[in-house]
Amino acid sequence: MAAPQHLPGHGDAGLQPERTDLAWGRTTLSMLVAAAIFLRWLPHHGWFVGALVAAAIITATSINLTRQRRLHRAIHGINQESMPPDVTSTASVAASVVILALLGIYTVLFLPLNP
Amino acid sequence: MADTNPQGRGRDGISARILGGGTDPDPRFTLANERTFLAWIRTSLAMLAGGVAAEAFMADFFGPELRKTVSVLLLALALLIGGGSFFRWLNIERAMRHKTPLPLPWIAPLLAVGAALVAVIMVAFVLARPN
Repeated sequence: MAAPQHLPGHGDAGLQPERTDLAWGRTTLSMLVAAAIFLRWLPHHGWFVGALVAAAIITATSINLTRQRRLHRAIHGINQESMPPDVTSTASVAASVVILALLGIYTVLFLPLNP
Repeated sequence: MADTNPQGRGRDGISARILGGGTDPDPRFTLANERTFLAWIRTSLAMLAGGVAAEAFMADFFGPELRKTVSVLLLALALLIGGGSFFRWLNIERAMRHKTPLPLPWIAPLLAVGAALVAVIMVAFVLARPN
């Protein structure tokens, strides 16, 4: 995350902004784990796997760089009692996972296996 | 970006059209929906990692056809759950905006059936494997 800035307070006893921020953080970690496991394919399937590793790392980095923005947005939304849903973030993350899965299927089915 | 106007008015057209009108629900519900979406995404990522591991780590135990089958099954499950989680998120958001009942999750039975199928295949081949 970015350097800690002064966070505005909020009156939500359910701690929704923090929990949502941490959920994004866990998703970043899962994405990095996926990237690490893709590395296991490198000796078997060659350089193409590098694209998968890079795609997963780029997604994880993008999520982490935008966390502060989403946290502020959530706190603001709680304080205003109104918040438009974040279509861009959800659509991007889902698209990344779909692309990773497609590239993975392509790797398994069409790339030669070097023992 | 969608947060230029926190009141939800004057939002860019694509986002508004995707959401299909209605009024912003309690932000706590929107955040809860977002967390549920992320939980599905992480489930999808676990399937993705499982699919890669199935092909990469089982070379000493199973033949290439079985590894390929299990791997593609898990990766396809990751694809469907990952893509489906966005549409589930969107359908819930739309239902909340129009104050209609929340839709049932079709990705939940998909996950159950898919995971069970992979498990059955693995058990069958482990039992059938000559020692």
